[in-house]
Amino acid sequence: MSDDPIREIAETATRAAAIAAGLDAAGAARRLGEDGLLGVLAPESVGGLGLPLSVAAAVVAATEAALVPLPVAEAVLAARLLAERHPEVAAAIVAGEGVVTVATAGAFTDEDGRCSGTVGRAPAGLAARWLIARTGNAGAAVLLDLRAEGVTIEEERGLDLERPPARIVARDAVATPLHDIAGFEADLLLLRAAGALGAAEHCLDRTIGHVSNRRQFGKPLVAFQGLRFELARQKLSLEGARAALAHALSLAGQDPRAEGIARLVARSACGDAAPAIIEAAIQLHGGMGFTWDLGLHRQLRRAREAAAALDAVAARAALAERLEQAWAA
Amino acid sequence: MSAVATDTEAYRARHRAWLAANLPARWRADNPDYQGPTLDEAKEWEAELHRQGFWGVAWPRDYGGHGLTLREHLVANQEIGRLPMPESFNSIGKELAGPIILAIATEEQKKRYIPAILEMREIWCQGFSEPEAGSDLAGLRTRAVRDGAAWRVTGQKIWTSGAHRAQRCLLLARTGSMESRHRGLSLFALKLDQPGVTIKPIRQMDGNAEFNEVFFDNALVEPEDALGEQERGWAAAVRVLEVERGTNRIYRAWRLEEELRHLLTVCRTDPALARIIENPHMVQRIAAVQVDIEVHKRMIEGVVEDLCAGASIGGRGSLIKQHWSDYHQRQAALAVEILERASYPPSPAVARAQQRFRTVYLRSRAETIYAGTTQIQLGIIADRILKLPREG
Ligand SMILES: Cc1cc2nc3c(=O)[nH]c(=O)nc-3n(C[C@H](O)[C@H](O)[C@H](O)COP(=O)(O)OP(=O)(O)OC[C@H]3O[C@@H](n4cnc5c(N)ncnc54)[C@H](O)[C@@H]3O)c2cc1C
Repeated sequence: MSDDPIREIAETATRAAAIAAGLDAAGAARRLGEDGLLGVLAPESVGGLGLPLSVAAAVVAATEAALVPLPVAEAVLAARLLAERHPEVAAAIVAGEGVVTVATAGAFTDEDGRCSGTVGRAPAGLAARWLIARTGNAGAAVLLDLRAEGVTIEEERGLDLERPPARIVARDAVATPLHDIAGFEADLLLLRAAGALGAAEHCLDRTIGHVSNRRQFGKPLVAFQGLRFELARQKLSLEGARAALAHALSLAGQDPRAEGIARLVARSACGDAAPAIIEAAIQLHGGMGFTWDLGLHRQLRRAREAAAALDAVAARAALAERLEQAWAA
Repeated sequence: MSAVATDTEAYRARHRAWLAANLPARWRADNPDYQGPTLDEAKEWEAELHRQGFWGVAWPRDYGGHGLTLREHLVANQEIGRLPMPESFNSIGKELAGPIILAIATEEQKKRYIPAILEMREIWCQGFSEPEAGSDLAGLRTRAVRDGAAWRVTGQKIWTSGAHRAQRCLLLARTGSMESRHRGLSLFALKLDQPGVTIKPIRQMDGNAEFNEVFFDNALVEPEDALGEQERGWAAAVRVLEVERGTNRIYRAWRLEEELRHLLTVCRTDPALARIIENPHMVQRIAAVQVDIEVHKRMIEGVVEDLCAGASIGGRGSLIKQHWSDYHQRQAALAVEILERASYPPSPAVARAQQRFRTVYLRSRAETIYAGTTQIQLGIIADRILKLPREG
């Protein structure tokens, strides 16, 4: 590894993502697995690289920009979560031998390793081999092999087009309890923020390219001051959110008190900035921006879902209650 | 209560009762078993709406209208807006082509075009934008040249909404030189069903293909289908756009209120959502949308009063269009954000609302692009309303 692992991995991720974007979920997992990108967080014992969360953020930024049809943030975090107690599953995820997904809605009931109930909004669920889902008990979850008896999966409607969400119904299915996924869920939010921001940056770049070439009123659109100001504002919100996110990532796993505040700030800044930048990108492409084929809507659909999960409103409400603590830090 | 007010209320009550009794339940966007009308069903329904006094309200009886005023037109539209009803398949005919025909066409043309629009025999589309002429509409290149008393049209339009089901195109074409810019343009009512016209649908980001590329290769315009004075097309087009921005879908404020009502009604049926909409931070955002809706209503009512007093809309349409297109995007994003947090699995009513507002959210992105983008509206407000000088 060179002195700058983030840059090197980001470059690898960008190359791999461009290829993986043209594959299905299983193929994308294999492709990213071959480059070691799904093991950035997992320990060496399961074939991982054991790098910090900021490196995973760079990977997810690249795969979200390219619209890779795989829940990548879920995979890198699941590999780390499962490494100690379920090394075979973690190693398979790292190698890209199977897709893992996470149910973002609903909870199972879990009785002595057998779970029942309905969960859903699991990205790319139909293509997944493993599912992580909450159970009724606070912070508790299960790992479910989706091939287990008593499990049915069906597609749901959502915004994300490349990773259609799925509903999973379990009837007395054998599952493995996972004890505390609170940290996993908090890190997943940060990686989703990183992904949405990566996608937003990509869309902003495309827009700058478009308005530099498109001519109206006898000159390139980019020559109009109003439009330059608009792009400058988007850049400002991108850089602000990026700074907030980088700070939260750098504190990941250190001082849990400061981490709380930094994460709330990042959730708020990224949750607002990412979809707004992509919306502006669509706007500045004019009629073309509204077409299916131009494809900016694909990043927007994902970023809108990420923003809903980041819940900037709730993050600000929590922050407001902790201002004294923020000032003391 | 004055006699006038009583009449208005009776008029409103009649319209409300008719819609309540006749709008098919499956066409309601808040129905879990929602299924929109087919083209044939929509034609029949809209023709019936016209007979029942919902369309052509303020148009002269000579052309199939109901001969009332814009005030009644607004009342009928408020009732349309209150319900989650399908949008018109011929709003371009009824709301853009119609008014401009009444303003500049010959008596013979009015008698020919207007009843066909109201009876849904002719659906219209609007052929203004071109690949190289979007915001800069005066740069359009589609050319119409004389062929005896008739015209021949060659060129291309793009983003033409509904062209694939339309019979006529309100076409803005160049009859003068390229250099003459907006002075060399004329308006036509071109028949689309002819060999010189090719229509190719373009898929939109919501998955539907509602707009089109339209290619003209020596397409024929009969002498009786030229609209208004030759080379005066720009002034007419500007009036079309003022109408499009000011009074098109005049029910919109009431429809966006219906969307908000649908959202909140559904939220109250779900314990998780019911909590969220009572959160003080959310309450603020929801109330801010209601403020925007109320402001929108007042703007519309003001314009209707002024038009009844004989004024024209002018640049003011840009204030209205910018106001609603902005807040509707905020409103739609808010709806998506709230509904994402529903209890799981969602009830059929919640699932329907989720699906409706995802679509509304995606479609609302077009609202700051069509009929002149945000940047163009702001330019008009600066130039034509504020009349800001270009230099010191
Ligand atoms: C859903 C939909 C339906 C439509 N239906 C119709 C229809 O039925 N008939 C029809 O004729 N047209 C229709 N249009 C086309 C619409 O009117 C044009 O898309 C619009 O006028 C913008 O033109 P453009 O797409 O060429 O974008 P461009 O003009 O290329 O603009 C690109 C971006 O640059 C910005 N911009 C342009 N000029 C300036 C400036 N001077 N300063 C700052 N920013 C600027 C614009 O605001 C926009 O954000 C439709 C469009 C959509 C999205």
